[in-house]
Amino acid sequence: MENLSKEIREAVKKLFEEDKVDLVIGFENGSLPLKATPCFIRNIDDIDRLVWNSRCENNLAVYLTKNKGKIGIVAKGCDSRAIVGLMQENQIDRENLVIIGIPCGGMVDQKKIEKSLQEKEPLEVKENHDSLVIKGNGFEETLKISDILYDNCMSCKHRNPVIHDVLIGEPVEEQDDVDEFAGVKAFEEKSSDERWDHFVKQGEKCIRCYACRNACPFCFCEECSVDSSQPQWFGKSIALSDTQVFHLMRSFHIAGRCVDCGACVRACPMDVDLRFFNKKIEKDVRELFSHEAGIDPEAAPPLNTYNTDDYDDFIKS
Amino acid sequence: MDAAKETSWEPKIITFLCNWCSYAGADLAGVSRIQYPASTRTIRVPCSGRVNPLFILRALQNGADGILVSGCHPGDCHYLSGNYAARRKFSILAGLLEHVGIEKERVQFSWVSAAEAGRFAEVITEITEDVKKLGPANRMVKKRVH
Amino acid sequence: MKEMIIKKDALMNLLTGRADDCQVFAPVEVEGSLVIKEIQPGDEITISSMNTKASIKETFFPQRERLFSYDLSKPGEMKEPPFSDRKRIVFGIRPCDAKSLTVFDCVFKGKDYPDPYYIDKRDNTIVIAVGCNEPSTTCFCSDTGAGPFSTDGADLLLVDLDGSYLVRVVTEKGESFVNENTAFTEAGQQQAETRDAIVDKATKAVHAQVNPDKVKKKLDDGFDSNVWDIIHEKCIGCGTCTYLCPTCHCFDIVDETTGTTGERLRIWDSCMYPFFTLHASGGNPRKTGKERMRQRVMHKFKYFVDNNEMVACTGCGRCVKYCPVNLDIREILKQIEVS
Repeated sequence: MENLSKEIREAVKKLFEEDKVDLVIGFENGSLPLKATPCFIRNIDDIDRLVWNSRCENNLAVYLTKNKGKIGIVAKGCDSRAIVGLMQENQIDRENLVIIGIPCGGMVDQKKIEKSLQEKEPLEVKENHDSLVIKGNGFEETLKISDILYDNCMSCKHRNPVIHDVLIGEPVEEQDDVDEFAGVKAFEEKSSDERWDHFVKQGEKCIRCYACRNACPFCFCEECSVDSSQPQWFGKSIALSDTQVFHLMRSFHIAGRCVDCGACVRACPMDVDLRFFNKKIEKDVRELFSHEAGIDPEAAPPLNTYNTDDYDDFIKS
Repeated sequence: MDAAKETSWEPKIITFLCNWCSYAGADLAGVSRIQYPASTRTIRVPCSGRVNPLFILRALQNGADGILVSGCHPGDCHYLSGNYAARRKFSILAGLLEHVGIEKERVQFSWVSAAEAGRFAEVITEITEDVKKLGPANRMVKKRVH
Repeated sequence: MKEMIIKKDALMNLLTGRADDCQVFAPVEVEGSLVIKEIQPGDEITISSMNTKASIKETFFPQRERLFSYDLSKPGEMKEPPFSDRKRIVFGIRPCDAKSLTVFDCVFKGKDYPDPYYIDKRDNTIVIAVGCNEPSTTCFCSDTGAGPFSTDGADLLLVDLDGSYLVRVVTEKGESFVNENTAFTEAGQQQAETRDAIVDKATKAVHAQVNPDKVKKKLDDGFDSNVWDIIHEKCIGCGTCTYLCPTCHCFDIVDETTGTTGERLRIWDSCMYPFFTLHASGGNPRKTGKERMRQRVMHKFKYFVDNNEMVACTGCGRCVKYCPVNLDIREILKQIEVS
């Protein structure tokens, strides 16, 4: 990990020296032992802040639509797919973007760590090749990274960046044999009542803080229809029906865009099961329109196009 | 559903009808005196592609027992491709609604042309019967502060 | 301060036994998270070293609250919700959350704009807080004028002595609660000594991290400081910090009409949202994240201090723990302090 951090710094240093970037968006150590946090480097003297580890969980592509100029960005597999998606939607200026790709072994799930530590508090974390050594008051625990990855990382099919200008480190092995839709399929087997109950529980947890929306690289609309008050499309309160409609519409809006980076799940303070919606849509988009989001910059967004022989069985004629 | 309830209760079904086909089909059904259940509340739209999925969800929130979106047969769109775009949209929406536990029969889609008055009456009869079997909508209906 | 002792079992029995004649709110584990909810038969009250995810404010200032209902066919007629004089007990909140009620009191119970909806709930509630034997690394309550055993805002403050609680009687309301129940007995010398040791240890565990006085001085003429240009940069503009915050109290008012009837609701709003300050003209005085972040910090650490002589932050650390991008308020304050 130290090596990769060093390699990132060297790459960024070179970019600044060659005047290819004005701003580099990467990660630095956070204020809590388990956290890395996004950082904005504008000056070559600050590059030592940049780090890389299994806690660099945010999708940095979310910042691309909010910043202008010559930008360098540290991108793991899912970040790079989000960048491709944004290119499809003409949201970024590829000419002025340097993608510093980094193969990713998956990010560790803070909540899974919390669970395995029970109520003990981590004070210091050291990362080895495939494990985290967590120290606290009177304890030391070693957790295998592959056991505590986020669910979406466990079923990730694109750990290596799909697009990059600079590549840090060596490509990692892809998890070709996992079924990324196993969870959705299991859910589809359940009865309508069971699925509804799950949906109700998710709606009841939501506090409408919009962390899911704001962490999502694809929620780049200048004015979100959820916020609009003239006309007011959405009920604004946490009435169950309103939170449910919000989540249905949000996942619908990113249909064909969502790259399952998990940014929304990680951002949600209330543990709403957001992949429950998003993964289902992703599966349907894949099956019905043979489209995989964030792979081909030239591909048309699936809901912006059509075939005359598209799936028609659900329509009475 | 008990039998008494089944006879006394009439569902409210919101129908979004494309101006160029289904709406005219409904009109023709009317002037031809074709009988069909009076369960529908029609909203005329310029094209099935105009129907934002949010309209459907809002209808459910406000207590619609069933929703029908009806547009032109593939290839017949007045705007050439509006119904093709709608079809992609609604295939995703239909899957999502079923996934979260909204009964499949509550939200339906059809292609009905301006000439198909009989077909229009059939579609309305079918959805009305489907929804009657399900009973009044409960899921997604917005409740007041208790 | 008067101090009593009560066995933990006895207190739990007392609380669950009261559910008939009053509402009892306490932390309960729901789907793996600790939440404060009204206790129903079968619920198990859980006091752990973790704080609840959401703060106590929902219990006094609901995220969705009806102000009145109306019928458009009867102009001018409005029906207010019934104010109940049903007693309420809030048990098991931490001193940071209890302290937040003193912040709320300034806003909703002040003499200028007393808010009947809040006052109804506040006056009918006995607040029983539990001190923190094991503060977390995200806690900075000592810096904000409270501390792990602060009695501010509480009627009774409990100190966990393993099998029993030492009860510090803070207010008259608390005193009459104690007097009504025979399960409370006078605390002895030995228990007071144990209490001292626990309080001492916990207080030392909350390290001094920020200095609101120094921050305030900087903020007094820091409106145009260039520190604001950088600290908001990674903020994604969600409302997690403000909605989990026990002191944030901004709200919006919406009318929800269906057919001819409807209700006027008060719902939480957040200064981190661009629409919070959008004018009807289309203008927006807080256009970017920079202005919005400045407002949040200024409101908590300057404006509120100017008006009420206390910071609108209790150091509970929720925003620190749950911020999706780890934008730590303590770091922000430190940056301001050295700017």
